[in-house]
Amino acid sequence: MLIVDDAATVRLYYRQVLETAGFAVEEAVNGMEALEKALSRPFDLLVVDVNMPRMDGYTLLRKVREAPDLRAVPAVMISTEAQAGDARRAYEAGANLYLVKPVRPEVLALDVRLMTGVPPGECPK
Amino acid sequence: MRETTPISPGEFAKFQEFFYRKTGLLFTEAKRYFVDRRLAERMQATGSASFRDYFTLLRFQASGTELQALVNLMTVNETYFYREQYQFKCLVDSMLDEVARTKKPGRPIRIWSVPCATGEEPYTLAIHLLEHWAQVDAFEIEILASDIDTAALDAARAGIYAARAVQYVPMTVRRRYFTELGDDRWQIIPELRRSIEFTRVNLHDRAEVARNGRFDVIFCRNLLIYFDEHSRRQAAESFFDVLYPGGFIGLGHSESMSRISSLFNVRRFPDAIVYQKPR
Repeated sequence: MLIVDDAATVRLYYRQVLETAGFAVEEAVNGMEALEKALSRPFDLLVVDVNMPRMDGYTLLRKVREAPDLRAVPAVMISTEAQAGDARRAYEAGANLYLVKPVRPEVLALDVRLMTGVPPGECPK
Repeated sequence: MRETTPISPGEFAKFQEFFYRKTGLLFTEAKRYFVDRRLAERMQATGSASFRDYFTLLRFQASGTELQALVNLMTVNETYFYREQYQFKCLVDSMLDEVARTKKPGRPIRIWSVPCATGEEPYTLAIHLLEHWAQVDAFEIEILASDIDTAALDAARAGIYAARAVQYVPMTVRRRYFTELGDDRWQIIPELRRSIEFTRVNLHDRAEVARNGRFDVIFCRNLLIYFDEHSRRQAAESFFDVLYPGGFIGLGHSESMSRISSLFNVRRFPDAIVYQKPR
């Protein structure tokens, strides 16, 4: 899966949570880099921040949904914005799930398992 | 090693004054053996025939590389991961929650580790945040790590440690943030190394300190004990200038800000006593 966030500590935190849950993780520091990576090889999930330089999370999700090869890739958007309008904007851009930071590690791991279809008690591939 | 002419008391006094002026580090007569050995080593390395020649090089070399080489030799870098751990517990259980209450989510929280020596402290800070602070992903954490010793900074950036330095890091945590290199050596994973910015800073130079921006938390442990009263006060004032109002500073267990400066408020948290810039 691909973690997209401009903050190094946040990427590292999600990486630790998801690797501990058994997933293989790659990183991108903004939407532009994420789009390039996603177009070059398959990912089973995108974990996307909102505010990033060069290309923000909304734009990234819209471009992902426009790309035939990426249309079906599940995406979770994780944001510091907790207003109802922010979640609606994320879903309209193409998010499958919207979470508000801070996200508890067990919540993130469980949501990601559900989104990638890993049954309870089984290890991710 | 070639025999060198002993350094006279007058020469030592001149050197002492020069080195103090440049670095804020005061080496008294009591440290003569320590200083003489290091000066002899550098005199040999630079091919200086006498202390007088060496001192001329030290003072007038345009690049300042010899002064830096001597500084690297004169600073003590012995430390280890999780040293005085109660302060890191205090950071994640008390200080950061208070800092976070004054910030909008997503905004930067800036932490400064100085002197960072070979990196054990800033990496320990980062690991504690990642492992124990529930709001770690809600803010943009920036950890700046600084030292006057450029060789120590290079080692910090490489992040390779002997087993002795990591002995207090629990194995589960070690497996997450280190790669075992063999020969009892452990290296910090690249993602963690990249998350910390390492810079050279001379705390004696207020303008240089100011160039690093402002901070919410500063850790300056076991450095001020090497300074004289004047340098200690000056460093405290520099820290005061670069802290945000309400920002915290943690010192070593044997150091007390109250004995150095009255600028800060004492904060007694359950795990540690730290000092706070008034709001």
